[in-house]
Amino acid sequence: MRILMITMSLFSIIGCSHAEVQHSNFAVESVADGIYVHHGEHLDIDTGYQGDICNISFIVGSKGVAVIDTGGSLKVGQQLQSAIRKVTPLPVLYVINTHVHPDHIYGNAAFLPKNPSDPKPEFVGHEKLANAMDVRSEQYAKLNERFLHDDAIGSELIKPTLVVKTTLELDLGDRVLVLNAHPLAHTNTDITLIDRKTGTLFAGDLLFIARTPVVEGDIKGLIAEIIKLKSSPATQVVPGHGPVTKDWVVALSNAERYLTVLLNDVRASIKGNVSMEKTMDTAAESERNHWKLFEIANRRNVNTIYPVLEWE
Amino acid sequence: MAMQFQRWFSKVVVAVGLSLSFAANTYAEADPKLWPVMQEAFFAKREMKDVDFIKIEAPRRAESGAQVPVTYSIDNAAANGVVIKKLYAFVDANPIPITAIYHLTDTLGNFQLSTRIRFETDAFVRLVGETADGSLYLASREIRAAGGCGGMVENNESEIRAAAGRIKMNVETPVKVGTPTTATFNIKHIMRTGLQRDLVSQGYVPAFYINKVDFVYGGKPLMTVDVGVGTAEDPYFKFSFIPASAGNLEAVATDNEGKTFSQQYEVKI
Repeated sequence: MRILMITMSLFSIIGCSHAEVQHSNFAVESVADGIYVHHGEHLDIDTGYQGDICNISFIVGSKGVAVIDTGGSLKVGQQLQSAIRKVTPLPVLYVINTHVHPDHIYGNAAFLPKNPSDPKPEFVGHEKLANAMDVRSEQYAKLNERFLHDDAIGSELIKPTLVVKTTLELDLGDRVLVLNAHPLAHTNTDITLIDRKTGTLFAGDLLFIARTPVVEGDIKGLIAEIIKLKSSPATQVVPGHGPVTKDWVVALSNAERYLTVLLNDVRASIKGNVSMEKTMDTAAESERNHWKLFEIANRRNVNTIYPVLEWE
Repeated sequence: MAMQFQRWFSKVVVAVGLSLSFAANTYAEADPKLWPVMQEAFFAKREMKDVDFIKIEAPRRAESGAQVPVTYSIDNAAANGVVIKKLYAFVDANPIPITAIYHLTDTLGNFQLSTRIRFETDAFVRLVGETADGSLYLASREIRAAGGCGGMVENNESEIRAAAGRIKMNVETPVKVGTPTTATFNIKHIMRTGLQRDLVSQGYVPAFYINKVDFVYGGKPLMTVDVGVGTAEDPYFKFSFIPASAGNLEAVATDNEGKTFSQQYEVKI
């Protein structure tokens, strides 16, 4: 609905906070002074996937711009770049990937310099990101080709040139971003960051709002990181998927609740000799009505965590 | 036995080449053209009959290609005198299509086994049953396996080695003589395919996998599984058997590096 509103509104309001700027069906929302967020659609990576399903953000300082995730294809990355150009002529200094998943990283190539003399941004990620990208490159390339067809062309994997081991500060000119690397949680490559100037926290896929949270790395680690995020000094949070919110402690608690119910249900199944197949039908049932894409995402979470929890 | 399986693996190489050339065409659903080629590679010039008495239960759409749960069964009454001694399980679009070969005994009764297998992409599970006289019977089931991207977290090599071979066994109670009884076997093992790139050397990470599990009950062979890398990480077999008396259920597993792992489970009646 909101996107529709944005698309219908043809105002191109630049530099005005809480305005919306739209470019070739690539809507961005201004959520704080100099912070813009594009919301992808809540789609699974399956038939119908168009490379634009997660939140993609950019932050404008006095010297330049930081991009937070680039979408799932070169095309989406280019749309993001055009959206940035509508807002500021300043150079993109940093391209940050919150983790390795394909919907967040395959637009990176749009930010490579067009001419050798152009300045090159730093590509920023978790210290394990480059390796994780390598390990998955073949599978992700196939997946992109299969679902994105022509849009997959040129969506090259661009690895980090600057890594986050624990924390890292990036200065965009009159605003500093503080990046944090996390242990195994959503994936083994998760980073979050906060814009000190506005207190906007970018949680990456440690937080899903509306869409069912996804566990790939370690459910216990993910719950632990979500709990830690609750003590962040944030004023608002941009999740990896879903709307930006000032009610972020509630949002974190919702994700924590789903994951805890899921963990407890799967543990109970294993203890009671209930098979993984049956558990996929029953685990976290009480959460079904609270989340989008529940059926597929919840079943997949069970499929991921059950074989691991069998060895607890 | 091991030799035979190796011979099979060399045939696999032929089939691999074929399956890859097909896979290069991006298709959205499982490709029915793969199997005739593979059947010829594995069972050259032998007849094979499609049957209903061999059954495959599986999700139509797999949530994660890394751990796809499947249940195989043989309905002895419907088989009408056909006694399957060997069951070959293939995923026909995998780079290494054979996932396991099950050597069966009468003590299993109506064969029923659940396991978890790997899917590279959409594919058919093909189960080929073979009798003592070499007659072949086929059951097939299509599984869509898109979207899953789990099972690729890099691990610590020494931890993998230290954990490899840990076994968990369970037999559901109460157990009654002459009645189907469910046993579960899990073994911790990374099950490396040998097709993964080594990021440092740019070569391949050597295959490292459980290649065989022997199940024995009361000193008599119950089932032998020749395990392939199409079996998912931490191999899992849940199957039923018919105990004639109380006894020990023993499992002896070996890996492709020659290590042996074993465990016993005392079944009380």
